[in-house]
Amino acid sequence: MSPKIQEVADLVAKGKAKLVGPAVQAALDEGCDPTEILNGGMIDAMAVVGEKFKNNEIFVPEMLVAARAMKKGVEVLKPHLSAGSTGAMGKLIIATVAGDLHDIGKNLVAMMIESAGFEVIDLGVDVPIEKIIECYKANPDTKIICLSALLTTTMPSMRDTVAALNESDFRSNIKIMVGGAPITQEFADEIGADGYSEDAASAATLAKNLVK
Amino acid sequence: MEQKIKITKFQKKIARETVFQLLNCKEDSPTYQQMKEEFEELLEPVKEKLAPEAVIGFGKVPEELVCDKLKLGEDVIYVLATVGKEVSRFSSEFFDEGDFLKGMLIDAMADACLFAMDDEIEDELKRVCAQRHIGIVSRLEAPEDIPMAAQKAAFDQLEGEKNLGISISPSYMYDPVKTSCQVMRVSEDATVFKAQHNCRKCKAKGCTMRNIQPITITVQNKDKTFQIVSKEYETILDAMNKQGAYFSAVCGGKGNCGKCKVRLLSGELEITPADKKHFTQEELDKGYRLACRAYPTDDITISMTTQDESGFSIQVGHGTQEEEDSRITESGYDIAIDIGTTTLAFQLVGKTSKKPVASFATLNRQRAFGADVISRIQASCDGKKAELQKSIQEDLMTGIRALIQEKEIEPSQIDRIAIGGNTTMGHLLMGFSCEGLGVYPFTPVDIGLIERPFQEVLGNTYLDATVILLPGISTYVGGDIVSGLYDCDFGTNEKTALLVDLGTNGEMAIGNCQRIITTSTAAGPAFEGGNISWGMGSVQGAICNVKIEDGKANVTTIGDKPPVGLCGTGVIETMAELIDHEYVDETGRLEDEYFEEGFELAKTAEGKKITFTQQDVREIQLAKSAVRAGIEVLLRRFGVTYDQVDAVYLAGGFGYHINQEKSMVIGLIPHEFDGKIKAVGNSSLGGALRYLTEENAKEEIHRILERSAEIDLSQDADFNDLYMEHMFFE
Repeated sequence: MSPKIQEVADLVAKGKAKLVGPAVQAALDEGCDPTEILNGGMIDAMAVVGEKFKNNEIFVPEMLVAARAMKKGVEVLKPHLSAGSTGAMGKLIIATVAGDLHDIGKNLVAMMIESAGFEVIDLGVDVPIEKIIECYKANPDTKIICLSALLTTTMPSMRDTVAALNESDFRSNIKIMVGGAPITQEFADEIGADGYSEDAASAATLAKNLVK
Repeated sequence: MEQKIKITKFQKKIARETVFQLLNCKEDSPTYQQMKEEFEELLEPVKEKLAPEAVIGFGKVPEELVCDKLKLGEDVIYVLATVGKEVSRFSSEFFDEGDFLKGMLIDAMADACLFAMDDEIEDELKRVCAQRHIGIVSRLEAPEDIPMAAQKAAFDQLEGEKNLGISISPSYMYDPVKTSCQVMRVSEDATVFKAQHNCRKCKAKGCTMRNIQPITITVQNKDKTFQIVSKEYETILDAMNKQGAYFSAVCGGKGNCGKCKVRLLSGELEITPADKKHFTQEELDKGYRLACRAYPTDDITISMTTQDESGFSIQVGHGTQEEEDSRITESGYDIAIDIGTTTLAFQLVGKTSKKPVASFATLNRQRAFGADVISRIQASCDGKKAELQKSIQEDLMTGIRALIQEKEIEPSQIDRIAIGGNTTMGHLLMGFSCEGLGVYPFTPVDIGLIERPFQEVLGNTYLDATVILLPGISTYVGGDIVSGLYDCDFGTNEKTALLVDLGTNGEMAIGNCQRIITTSTAAGPAFEGGNISWGMGSVQGAICNVKIEDGKANVTTIGDKPPVGLCGTGVIETMAELIDHEYVDETGRLEDEYFEEGFELAKTAEGKKITFTQQDVREIQLAKSAVRAGIEVLLRRFGVTYDQVDAVYLAGGFGYHINQEKSMVIGLIPHEFDGKIKAVGNSSLGGALRYLTEENAKEEIHRILERSAEIDLSQDADFNDLYMEHMFFE
């Protein structure tokens, strides 16, 4: 990897938002491939950040500043990228299920998945089944639907949502991921989701594996 | 509802510490400064958006709320508190823009404000309780304590929409989310006020805000009763250990060994899967539980049923007589210490006489974290490093104080302290990380000779002495063995000798003044009574001698007390007798008659059968062949035959008491060594003593280290074959 791209990666990992923009510019000036700057300098760097988070080496704030630094870098890079290369991993719809109003966990997941190179469509909280299906129909190239529920009382709502998706005619085109405090792998299996992850960083890894 | 009180005068407190705690933002994090700046920037705008309000009201428990915690019609106080909708909108704006950092910060700030409202609500609750002469016995929250339907009940009873402008979803969630609800159970006892938030029952153990209200555990131990306060969500075992109430847990609190059983006298303790494994239904009904698995959630009273360890026999001396010549006036004193995994031994040494003048022994209370070094290493790596260090420091202080008091000398008269101990014991005392000790390639932090001021090692200034930790050879061949080698003259003796420590780690060495080869073998704790169904330490009532005649065992116990179990020497004697009388065949299989239930040795005072089982035989086979194969490999690598070995030293408390003949019967030691075996007792302590009294000690220890090589049995081509071969009984 070019030392200039390595520099970008280091700054993203450290969350140096102010320095990332100029570093990206420097890499571009040296003739580095913009896609390589994005993949090698940012997406891979965020994967390392996520890994460290999973291992308890760093915590949420470090992850937040790294994601913010990446965002600054992408702003500089975007005009140089061909259309679609920022969300090259594919489209992903994320929502907190109907009846549940919590968005913090879901937001962190969205952030990490976006940092992994997905184009994220965030439908927000208390999202009814119909709205998710409608969104998919408007974006038929969606690869993953990601659902969050924070309390045991909204687990049935998650079950209903997944059941509705499982009955849809587009089920074979998508993967379903679930998560949230009361959710377990067993529950995910039971309701027929394709994957479960217990934190935001693992969710990003899982999303990548599901579209492989 | 009889009366509702609305509280609007809140201070909008947003403590930065709380917010950072919520986000897990630590002061040593490189992002701390940036987070701090962002926080300061957001503080005023967030305060503007906050609209803290609360309602409290008296009511009775409606039908839909009845559960094991709440009775129908019971008097309760409902509490609803919110910080309003605006602040949630404010954070959402940032999330929508993709500024996750600000979004998360605002969200946490809203939480912090909501939590802080608790104090002001508490004041109001105290006021209304005083007015009515009532108290609060518990605070219940959904979903941890009571069903989520409680949120709906509180909302209806307090008219949440009208009073606070909030709404509730069909799944009983409030909008805005930054709203909290509690149900307080009231009582006529006006002196109780337990309205504080209690995380004890919450399953979110990783939560950064975890705050647990203390509970009291009353412990009855024989005629003594004492109380300990548990401030965390923890097992009875952990709570007791933390507060110095010693408790032996051979397996390290994994629910395997069953040695930490207690009996619940009042209060509640859930029956765990480990309890079901260890106790019969009758015993469970009587309240028997394992302390290492029991998480109390409220005040309880238990009785301890642990063995009496007061009579634990510990090997202090190493054969030499401890005689004091009163005509000698000592110019000062040193202290020699052996830190064993199970026991600690101390000797006070006169500087003029160069002789031990007082001794003391005690159990290593670190046993509460597990019987063997591996479980201690695990405990240390699981965040109990500081507790383990404190435990050994306290034990050492106990011994040091006892010696000083016994001889009625001044602490200032103590000059040096020399310590022999295995590598793990050294690491735990020094507060070194044990991360490297438990995993390949087993790298220690420092096993060189350590000389430090007393305060640095023991953490106090009771003595102004130098503490010396004797050096080791590797993670597995530690300072205790080097000390033992020194004690057995491996540095000077021209004839070849073998030293075997029959402890858990089975350290051994062969050599002379030219060269030394050391190794360690996974003997396990079987020789010390560990992993044996009825095994135990050398305590009062432990069976130590066994004779079998006509299919019946005649036993003697330590202190001639009623039998309670089997100590290490008893284990070997039983095994040897079973072989002699052919109750086991050469493969180690017990006769059909005893195969299922084991061979009965004696009955306890309560009439329970003390047996030696098939599994116990297997444990002995594994242990003895590990030691024997280790001895054989050492001889081969050193290039000598049995007859070229001049002396065989058996070290350790167990080695001292072992019946040599029986150890040969079971094949632990080759018959060819008959007549050459010397029990040297605690040679680690002996070496430490000699270190303090001999002039060239440092150089000689250095010489031993220089000439020592270690072999790794797991990599040795012959070891496995020998291990299989010696598994059998000849």
